[in-house]
Amino acid sequence: MRFLGVLRKNLWELRRDAWGLVLTLVTAPFFVILYWLMTSGGSTTYDVLVLNHDAAAQVAGVAAGTGGDAVLSAMKAVTYPDGQPMLKVTLVLDRAAADVKLKNRDADALIIIPQGFTRTVLAWRREAGSPATAGPPAAVTIAGDLTNPQYAVAAVVATTALDGYVRSVTGQVYPIDVVEVPLGASRARTEFEIYVPGLLIIAATMLIFKAAMSVTREVEAGTLRRLRLTRMTALDFLGGVSAVQVLVGVASVLTTFLTAWALGFRSQGPLWVAIAVGAVTSLAVVGVGLLIACFSRTTNEAFIIGNFPLILLMFFSGAVFPLPRVPLFTAGGRVIGLYDFLPTTPAVDALNKVLTMGAGLRDVAYELSALLILSLLYFAAGVFLFKRRHLRTG
Amino acid sequence: MYRFLLPRRPAPWGREGDALPLAQGAGIALRADRLSKRYGDLLAVNELTLEVNEGEVFGLLGPNGAGKTTAINMMCGLLRPDGGQAYIHGLPVHGAAADVRARVGVCPQDIVLWGTLTCLEQLEFVAAMYDVPRDAARRRALVLLETMGLGEKRGKLARTLSGGLQRRLNFIMALVHDPGIVVLDEPEAGLDPQSRVMIREYIKSLSRSKTIILTTHNMDEADRVADRVAIIDHGSLLVVDTPEQLKRQAGEGDVLEVEASGGGPALLERATASVAQAMPQASVAASGGTITVRARGAVELLPVVVKVLRDAGLRPGEVRLRENTLEDAFIALTGRRLRE
Repeated sequence: MRFLGVLRKNLWELRRDAWGLVLTLVTAPFFVILYWLMTSGGSTTYDVLVLNHDAAAQVAGVAAGTGGDAVLSAMKAVTYPDGQPMLKVTLVLDRAAADVKLKNRDADALIIIPQGFTRTVLAWRREAGSPATAGPPAAVTIAGDLTNPQYAVAAVVATTALDGYVRSVTGQVYPIDVVEVPLGASRARTEFEIYVPGLLIIAATMLIFKAAMSVTREVEAGTLRRLRLTRMTALDFLGGVSAVQVLVGVASVLTTFLTAWALGFRSQGPLWVAIAVGAVTSLAVVGVGLLIACFSRTTNEAFIIGNFPLILLMFFSGAVFPLPRVPLFTAGGRVIGLYDFLPTTPAVDALNKVLTMGAGLRDVAYELSALLILSLLYFAAGVFLFKRRHLRTG
Repeated sequence: MYRFLLPRRPAPWGREGDALPLAQGAGIALRADRLSKRYGDLLAVNELTLEVNEGEVFGLLGPNGAGKTTAINMMCGLLRPDGGQAYIHGLPVHGAAADVRARVGVCPQDIVLWGTLTCLEQLEFVAAMYDVPRDAARRRALVLLETMGLGEKRGKLARTLSGGLQRRLNFIMALVHDPGIVVLDEPEAGLDPQSRVMIREYIKSLSRSKTIILTTHNMDEADRVADRVAIIDHGSLLVVDTPEQLKRQAGEGDVLEVEASGGGPALLERATASVAQAMPQASVAASGGTITVRARGAVELLPVVVKVLRDAGLRPGEVRLRENTLEDAFIALTGRRLRE
């Protein structure tokens, strides 16, 4: 009954703190929209400039035209599985102007096709003779800002298109043939969809402030002191508070998912498993929130201190971008890394498998178990320390 | 030493099984036994021992920083003493079950409310934390709200109430579970006159059925409502007695205060000695340019005092005649004024 009393009271407070609730619920959906815009509504389109010095060459048996134009067409034809072009190809006439665009990051890479490109390619055709008689290869230049993270992708995609054209025209046989085998449903995933699992975890992680501040507010206002005189136990109080916060966490995950769904995201695996992952992650985040409240006397302090674990949970779990593992030891045939002790790490892994690879409950049993154990540990630590710090007679 | 006695007394809200056991020593609602608390170098409470009887209004008096709130917090179980023990109905407070602490209702000095709950919601919530059944809690909350003139505000959020109304709500929060012992920490602090009268009257009405402990630095407040008073200063108990007895200790009769000017402290001291010599039945003291005479029928001594002052070369100024107060008792006990 006391637990239900605390639960009801927190629901009343939640309903009346509309701003706090709205901010918690919209932060992650805001990031979803931001990522959707960044990825051009699906996947990133890379800007490639082409400086084409090539001239037409007429060779017996080959259609007239320049190879440079054909390379341009080949680049434009590279698309994602959903048909969206990977490259936005722009023809430029001036190298200096192209360099300015690269420096300003208005473009990601510059491809310079040399003057005798068509003639050289045609000379290297199998039927035209041996390579020894074909003359020196054409020097295609790729320029770009190596500190631009998009350069590498743009350069690789552009050279792959170039290579494809050259191979098709020359008929040259390569000693290796690379075959790409996409895992699960990963081939059909847009770049935007790849970000969504991490964003769902961010939705749960954003709960950290609300959880910490809702408890610290009771300390700051002295109401916790009033409650200490009653028959209420630590479990009544923290259970009631946490249950409401977990509900907010699940709501936040759902709001984020619905936003992503409205923008084209589709889950490959069962949605209920993803929601379960979000709920358990919320429990862990609430536990971390209680730990923050142990070290805070005011809501301001809770907010400031909360930033540190937030960064750990978001950035070191791979929710925002993948990080290299830092292996510590091996247990049960699995390598346990440093970041695996963050509850968001198995949560991100589980959501990636479910939402992107189409995995089911059985496939993510390990991640879910690890998440559940970590969540219970963090929550138990939060309850234990909070009880010692704020609910014990001073 | 304190064994539990069980006949159960009926729960205030009438539910069988929720009653709390009385202990040996019934008749004593609350006992402090050599309670001590130290904060660094400051000895906030020093071996405080006192007993509060069932059904009495007990005033704990002392200047700000005397250790009243610390003492009360230890007696209620909010603060762990460094030494000693407190007993509620004979049961030790520290290390005891929450049931023992739940026998006390505490109204803190500061306003402690949930700003985003309505008046009724917070009373019901606190009642729920004391295991009061919902129906009983609502009935009692509504009665309390009505009694304190908050009936029409029951659906208003606490943060939207004026300071005076918040204080009234703060007050009844201590009563919603119908405790046997009510602790009021400076209950009149920050109250508007209307609220002050309302709360004072309510305390008086409660005194018929509950044990009330109020801490205050307002001697008049304690004099008006307390059956017994303890004066505490620098964490130590100075005296416990009825207000009448304490005032008697300070000096029988009335207090005559005569301001004197036209001379320095040495001259005033000599004049004071002369007044004391002229009226051996009175207690005479001087402080800050005022000569204070305590005696039965002090007003009849006024001409003598005026004459002695004039003979000493001083000019008598404003004259005040009043009854002995608890503040006089405090000054007599501590040698200094309450707010010094």
